Amino acid sequence: MIAKLVFAFLAVLVLVPAGLAVTVKNIFHSALWLVLSLTGVAGLFALLGADFLFVAQILVYTGGITVLLLFVVLLSGSPKDWIVRQVNGQWAWGLALSAIFVGLLATLFKQIPEPAELTPAAPTSAPLGLMLVRDMLLPFEAVSLVLLAALVGAIHFSKRNS
Amino acid sequence: MLPLFGYTLVSGVLVSLGLFGALARRNTLSILIAIELIFNAANINLVAFNRYLHPGQPAGQAFAIFVIALAAAEAVVGLALVLTVYRQFKTVLSEDLNLLKG
Repeated sequence: MIAKLVFAFLAVLVLVPAGLAVTVKNIFHSALWLVLSLTGVAGLFALLGADFLFVAQILVYTGGITVLLLFVVLLSGSPKDWIVRQVNGQWAWGLALSAIFVGLLATLFKQIPEPAELTPAAPTSAPLGLMLVRDMLLPFEAVSLVLLAALVGAIHFSKRNS
Repeated sequence: MLPLFGYTLVSGVLVSLGLFGALARRNTLSILIAIELIFNAANINLVAFNRYLHPGQPAGQAFAIFVIALAAAEAVVGLALVLTVYRQFKTVLSEDLNLLKG
């Protein structure tokens, strides 16, 4: 019963700020709503027993990416961008497509059989770490290379007079 | 016990909101925000299916970590590009960036 209440709270915490993040006019407010939505996703991870992902989500998303986003919002764009219309001419088509898409996804997810019984959640950080350096060593190293390339690329792109 | 359908429904609604944002918003930064929502919806699904269908082996969570790392890389490069585009064209609205349009 308490788990259901917590889940309902987290679902509202994820979906309402996400809906506001894609509809509000002010892009700065949009980024702030995104922070709240991503925090709700971290809560869902905690409810699913993914303790390492809970921490990683807060560190990387709410701590890193959104702060970066807020910096770029403030560095690019003039204050007049905050009062202009924020949707383009095809927003009705986009809304219709999204509505159809969510309906199709819901009918698809209805087909998945519910598992009979759930084992109690155990901490997964230790098995996750072992899996990353045993079974997934090559993708792990590849991701570190991708991050390095992204870092160098970001410095190259944002350099003045490049 | 919470049903698996609840988690998948939340992630489905979240991915649709992200899709709407990516299709309908004018500002390039808003489109990046919408793409972050889509990444998070995928992560919720990965972790939920891992918990309900394959408990004991955290392969889905490992995938979610890779998704988070790649999302961080995408955000860094995307934001650097937006910043450079703003310096060049003095706009971040996507319909004004039509240099390649004939």
